[in-house]
Amino acid sequence: MKVSSLILLLMTSAVSMAQNATTVKKTFSRETTVSIDIKADASIVWALLTNASDFPRWNSTIISLEGEIKKGEKIRLKSTLDEKRIFKLKVKEMDTEKRMVWGDGKGMRVYTITENGNGIAFNMTEKIGGLMFPMYAKYIPPFDASFNQFATDLKKEAEIISNTK
Amino acid sequence: MTTDKFTKEFEAFRGQLKSYILRMTASVQDTEDIVQDTFIKAHSNLASFKGESTPKTWVFAIASNLARDFLKSKKRWTENTTDICKEAALQNQQFFQEAMHIRQTSPQGQFEIREHISFCFTCVSKSLPLEQQLTLLLKEVYEFKVRDIATIIDNTEAMVKYYLHTARTKMTDIFEHRCSLINKKGICHQCTELNGIFNPKQNAQEELVKIQMVKDAESKNKEELLDLRMKIVKALDPFESPAAELQLHHLEHNRKVMERYLEEK
Repeated sequence: MKVSSLILLLMTSAVSMAQNATTVKKTFSRETTVSIDIKADASIVWALLTNASDFPRWNSTIISLEGEIKKGEKIRLKSTLDEKRIFKLKVKEMDTEKRMVWGDGKGMRVYTITENGNGIAFNMTEKIGGLMFPMYAKYIPPFDASFNQFATDLKKEAEIISNTK
Repeated sequence: MTTDKFTKEFEAFRGQLKSYILRMTASVQDTEDIVQDTFIKAHSNLASFKGESTPKTWVFAIASNLARDFLKSKKRWTENTTDICKEAALQNQQFFQEAMHIRQTSPQGQFEIREHISFCFTCVSKSLPLEQQLTLLLKEVYEFKVRDIATIIDNTEAMVKYYLHTARTKMTDIFEHRCSLINKKGICHQCTELNGIFNPKQNAQEELVKIQMVKDAESKNKEELLDLRMKIVKALDPFESPAAELQLHHLEHNRKVMERYLEEK
């Protein structure tokens, strides 16, 4: 392989690595994070993340999301991660166009949006854990692929909207 | 701007304003009231108009606010509005008697399939969240620019784009699943059924192939078919067309049925 091709390959890998979810496993917890740059206004990304019934339209990892995404409200999420389960989550924090936290007794998902001068940087982290975690850890599927898909879908949809004439 | 100049400008787009409000409220009476209130409000606040937008954009902003206030307490219609209203109409002999009387006696009592397509668009678009419905109408039917719509609905251009995109996607999806004119598996045939009632001697197929959207149903994608549908809506004035009285009678029926249905739900 030529040196220039190798450099190109490494650069391409670096770009896709920036979108790749990573998981840190510990005895009593597991934390998955994904980040992606999106060339769109924070308000568009926020609107996509806070309209529950619209999620399945653009997000291929979500089968259904019922309820209102407002602070203190409970939502019911059905995801491709486990199609048989409905996750009952509470919206714990909402800081418009900046940060949102959903969670239940076992874990917490944090969304953050940061302006970066050319759109926004989106970050999504989910930490699950607790004293009983080692007992049920093996039943929880890995999140990495789903997180990558979530971020990719969000970027695609937000940028399509942003490019509307 | 002088009062005379404003009045002249207002009259030039009054027809568009009226059809815009009708497509939001589905009520002739409420449309008349809102258009009149808009004129009075704009007229009395003429001194505050600084020319930062066109008078038309400014007036549409006033009218949109009044319409939004009016619709705030009302529930949005459902995607299957046409099914619910058809069921109610079939049980209401008076509705058909009145409609037939209009058909036979009124100069604006014709039944045309393209008119019904426009009517149907109004009913289905009332199932969108209000901000999405008015953004879609302002952009695709009344040809305002995204920047002007942001002024009219007092929001950012980014949010206008979001509303527009979601509205288009939902409308495309609804028609794709329901409308038999563009999808053979579509469950709604009301326009051709009504054509059979009001124009019994007419060949519906011959009428349908005159409509570009139907002609292109198999060759165009669903987004392009929505554009063709909106082109039909754009070309028709629901108050002035040869089918106006018949369609407005039908719209009034649907509004009453939906208000009752949503109240009971």
